[in-house]
This record gives sequence, C-alpha cells and structure tokens, in this order.
Amino acid sequence: MNRLLLKLAVMVIVVGSLYSTPATAQVAPTTKKAASVKITLGPEIERADSYLTIVRWTTNNPGGSPEHYGVVHYGTNPKDLSQTAKSPIRLNPGHSDTVFRVRIEGLQPGTTYYYKVDSMEANGTSDGVTSEVKTFKTK
Amino acid sequence: MRPRILIRLFTACLMVLGALFIFRGLLAQSQTSQIDTPQATPVPIYNPYPPGILPADLNSEINRVLREIASIENRAITRWHNLPPPIVTGQPPVLKNTGTEAVETLGELMNFDKNISPGRNQACASCHMPYVAFSGPIPSVNLTMIAYPGTVHFRAGKRTAQRYTYSPFFPVLQYNEEQGLFFGGNFWDSRATGYLLRNPDAHQSQGPPVDTQEMGFPDTACITFRLSHSVYRPLFELVWGKGSFDINFPPDTAQICATPGGAAVFGGDIQPVKLTAVDRIRSNEVYNHWGQSLDAYEQSVQVSAFSSKFDAFLAGHYTMTPAEHAGYNLFNGKGNCNSCHLDARSTTLTPNQTDTGNQPGGAPVFTCFGSANEGLPLNPRDAFYYQTTPDPFDFTPNPLGFGYRDLGMGTFLRSGFGSAPNPNASWRRFAPTVDGQFQVSSARNVAMAPPQCPTTEAPGPYFQKEFFHNGYIKSLKQLVHFYNTRDTGFAHNVTSGHCPEGTIEKVNCWPRPEVRNNLDMTTGNLGLTDEEENQIVAFLQTLSDGFTRPYPNRDTFTGTCMSGGSASTQGNEFLIPTPPLPPCAPEVCGVRPTPTPHIR
Repeated sequence: MNRLLLKLAVMVIVVGSLYSTPATAQVAPTTKKAASVKITLGPEIERADSYLTIVRWTTNNPGGSPEHYGVVHYGTNPKDLSQTAKSPIRLNPGHSDTVFRVRIEGLQPGTTYYYKVDSMEANGTSDGVTSEVKTFKTK
Repeated sequence: MRPRILIRLFTACLMVLGALFIFRGLLAQSQTSQIDTPQATPVPIYNPYPPGILPADLNSEINRVLREIASIENRAITRWHNLPPPIVTGQPPVLKNTGTEAVETLGELMNFDKNISPGRNQACASCHMPYVAFSGPIPSVNLTMIAYPGTVHFRAGKRTAQRYTYSPFFPVLQYNEEQGLFFGGNFWDSRATGYLLRNPDAHQSQGPPVDTQEMGFPDTACITFRLSHSVYRPLFELVWGKGSFDINFPPDTAQICATPGGAAVFGGDIQPVKLTAVDRIRSNEVYNHWGQSLDAYEQSVQVSAFSSKFDAFLAGHYTMTPAEHAGYNLFNGKGNCNSCHLDARSTTLTPNQTDTGNQPGGAPVFTCFGSANEGLPLNPRDAFYYQTTPDPFDFTPNPLGFGYRDLGMGTFLRSGFGSAPNPNASWRRFAPTVDGQFQVSSARNVAMAPPQCPTTEAPGPYFQKEFFHNGYIKSLKQLVHFYNTRDTGFAHNVTSGHCPEGTIEKVNCWPRPEVRNNLDMTTGNLGLTDEEENQIVAFLQTLSDGFTRPYPNRDTFTGTCMSGGSASTQGNEFLIPTPPLPPCAPEVCGVRPTPTPHIR
C-alpha cells in the first residue's frame, strides 16, 4: 500500500512537472497533438462584405505546431469550392479550445458563396477537420 | 654671430622642438582617456519635409536628451572609477570578482557616448533612454515623425525605437522545420540574426552606428577609431586586452569618420578607412567587443531588471489589485495575449485554483521570440516617406517615397531595400510566409514612463510613447482596443486620415492594414468590454520594472509631461490624411520570391 502511494506521489510530481511550461526559455512549445480535432462551434460568418469577410469556427485544441492556419475553401458553386483563403493563428497551450478565423478580401458584393473549412499546422500537416458546406451572402 | 654658430643654434632648436613634439605625442597617447571631448561639428540641415512633419520642438528636445545622456555618462564614469582594482587570474584568465561589472559598465559607457557618431551629436541612448525602458525619449517625435533623427539632422529611420529590455534573451534567429516557424533574432525585422557572434543582441548593437539614418558612420573602423580616443579606453583594454587598439589608422581617418555614411564622396565604398588586412581584423574584433559589451549592459540588472510588480507577485510579495488580477486573467484567457506574449504560467487558472508562481527556469519575458503581422495601418506621419530628395551629402534615404511598403521580415529574407543582407539563402523561399511580420516584443516595460509622469495614458500627467513598429498606436488603451476590435464593424477599407464621417479613428474606425499578407487572426475580435480592455491595461502596467527596487537612471527625464484628453483618442489631433498611395515599388514587392497575394 505504501509503495503504491509512493508510486502515485512520484507520478503526480512527474506529470505535474511535465505540465508546467518552462519559463524564460520561452520559445513557443510544440504541444501534444489531439487524437482527433472536431469543430465544436461554427463555422459561422463574423462579417461578409466586399471589403472583408471573416469566417470563424472553434475546435478542441489541435496541439502540434504553435502556429496553425485556418483554411477556407469557397466558391459561388457548392460543387466547386476551388478558391482558398488561409490565415495564421497562434495556439494557446493553456486553452482547451481554439478559435480559427480566416480573412477573405475582395469578394463580389451581393453574392452567395459556399464554403467549408479545414485547418493545418504551419508546416502544412492537416488537422483532419471535416466541416459541412455552408453558405453566406455578401452585403 | 658666425654662420656656423647660427646653424648649430638652429639645429639645437629644431631638436628641442622635435623632442617636444614626440613627447607631446607620447603624452597624448598615454592620456587619450583625458583629452578627447571635441564639440559637435555643425553640418548643413536636411529638411525635405512638408510643414508639420517635424515637431516644432525637435532641436530643443534633441539637446535636452543630450544633456540627460551626459548626466548618465558621468554617473557611469563614476561607477567605472569605483570599480575595485582588477585581478586577472585563472586559466583561461578571468577578471576575478569585477569582470562582470567591468564589462557591463563598459557597455553603459558606450551606450551613453555621443562621440560614437560622425557629428559627435548622437549616442545609442539618443533613441533609447532608461526612463522609457530604453525606447524613444522624445514625446513630440513619438507623436509625429515616429522614427528618430540621426547624426545628420534630419535624416531619420523608418521604425520606432525598440526597447532594450529583455532583448538579450532572444535566441539566434533560426527556422524550426518541425514547427514551420522562425524565432529569435533582434530588430523589428529580425535582421540581427546573431549568425556569427551567436548573439543577436550583440549583432543588433552593431547596426545603428553604421546605419545611414542613425548614428551613421561610413565604416565600422570609425567606431574602433573613436573608441581608441574615448575616455574609457583603459576600461576597454582592461576587459578586452591591452593591444586592442594597436592599429595604424591612416591620416585621413578622422576626416572620413566625421563624414556620414551614404555620402556620395565614398562612391559606395563600405570600407573607406584603408587598413591593412591585419588591422582590419583587429578593428573587426574591437567592433565585436563593442556589441558584446553593450549586450552585457543590456542583459544586466541595470537594464533587464526583473523588478516589476509582476515579479513581486510571482515571489508572493505583492497582491494584485482587483483590476490588475482581472486583467491578468483576461491576458491569459479571453484576450489570448499569452498565446504569443508567453507568461510561463502552466495554464489558465480555474476558480479556486492558486497560481503559486513556482515555475522552473526563472521569470517569464512575455514573448514567444516569434514574429507576427498584426495588421497595422500605414502611418503617413512616418518620416521615412518624405526623404525622397538628396541631402547635403548627396544621399537620398528613401527614393521610393510612399511606394515603400514595410514587409518587415519578408524584406529581410529577400535581402531587400532598407533591411540587411540575409546570411542564409535557404531561408529566402520563406519570405512570402513572413511578409508583414514584425518581432513579438516582450510585453515587459511596455508601460514604463518617468516618475513625474508615471503613465502612458491620458489624461495623465502622462509620457507620450508610441507602440508597434510604425508608432500608429499612441496609448495602451488604443493598443488593447486595436487587438479587441480590429476586424469588427470598425474595420473600414480606407487609409489613415480618411475614416468615414461620423466615425472616430482608433475608436470606432480602423483603417485597412498596410500589409494584409500573413495577418495574424488570433486576435481582432475578442469581445472584450471597455472595462475589460482597461483591466488588461492595468495588468500591463504591472510589468514595468522599478517596483521591487529603483530602476537605474529612471530619474533622468527633464522634459515636460503631458496631460488632459482621453487615452482612446490620445494623439488623434496629429492624424494626417494618407496621400493617394502609389503601387508598392518593384524594389520592395517585385523581389523574388514575390509576396502572395500581391501587395497593393
């Protein structure tokens, strides 16, 4: 019993120290990748006009490279989402959720667009997110 | 008198005179530390600026800062003279007990030496004073031209003066293949890579003395030359070796070094001081020691002090006010600031959880050492845009005028206009992935101001600072509001000075980014309330050094504090309309690999 308690105590200390982010040498860490990355909110439109359209969605924290890209595949035909926009974001290792936001500039006004989203690490490795095809109309 | 006697007398006189000359020469050599205080040489003024671009009090403010610099230099000289006698011992030899303080004091003496400029009118400290954590010391410059005038009045750079504090903690610039990210380096565009000295801060210190728009020497040998005549030469020789200055400088060195870099007379020669190969190596060595000594000073507790309220809080000696604590939680939570300004805490605290601050590895420096494009609008007040005509030395700082776009690290990787040569060809292909990116500054000391105007925020009494690489933002309230609302309905497709009627720039109108490529979207629509923004500002103010012990030389500001108005609109009275912008010049945007998407 005592040995078990000792083992548990050692485990707590080891796990605790692993969980701590080292100070000063603060190059952003590569964190453990999530087993699977799922969209928990969205995708939705923050704003949509010919100057600036922003697509936003939330996933569980995907882990991996500290910089990720949100990717939006879009077009005016739901069967042809061949245009792509991507924007970088920084993962926060302390947050359980991650918000992706992507800028699209120069869309046609008063036009319906279809889109789906994905995300990837800065080195191009996909997070494997799947999203339904959604739609928005620009002002 | 007979002619023979006359000739003898004449010869004797000549010998005495010759001996006197030799003796004087020896005396001068042995006493160089006492003699060299020539006055600034007046040079013709360069003023290509339309009315209102240069602040009205510029000359008096430059002189005010020079007086403050002299007072700190005198303190540093006293510090040097109070050093205990040296004991060099051990293998390798070490300056036992006093070596650290000796090299740090040497760096301080260099930092506040106005002789390290052709006109003897500009020290490193001219743009980096301690009372603002070694950033720009002139409120009116921070409000208007944003870049500081150099040795040639009034050539000026293109970006704001970065704080020294914690810059020595940045690693050598490197590309992490696994992460697909650059980190490290110094300067806004990371061009001080540290690739040779293995120390980006020391590499950075070697930039401004030979930057045409800053201290402006035409040759690094000029710094060696001026150091060899400095009062603190004995300290340099104590730290770096007695023979450091055994260099035969050509007779025209003084004249060359009194002429600013870029002058047509040099015909593009970057080494106009003609030294033998051996002397050039010696001079380069002195210049490396210049950088290393300044780095020693900047890393010392004189500069990077770890003496803030936040440090006291980590040590359990300070209880944050409710606003500061709320701001800290927002910094780590809803604001997501610590995704880049790493605070080295393990996680966002849950209710009833206490942060003991017992993290390994020391205190956090609040940066990820990376770079980001935060989407700042082009600031048409930036002095750089107006320097399109030749100055009295036939040098034109910016022939591209408003065709210049600041692509930050992207231009550096292309070895492009206004940056420095990239020493690593394999990085060049990444240029389009870092266009528009600038170094993520340490959040420490962002709020530091002099004691008599201890805040950066109106109504004050406050010290007017400038934020980000182009100084577009004038208060911390505006800084947080920008991160909070940049992409909301406040985002307008206009340039600065052209916000729609009924809106107020920086309050409910943000002009479009200068560079939209690689724009970081971690922030931009955070949903913070006005009060929450203020709480983050309150937290940022806990990061100023000087709480647990006095911050050295913070008491040296002799200028005027400002007061009145509101932090939200601080400086808005100095907004000017951006002129119609020509397309980005081919010298910037046409260099391969070209930016993607195309920059307008």
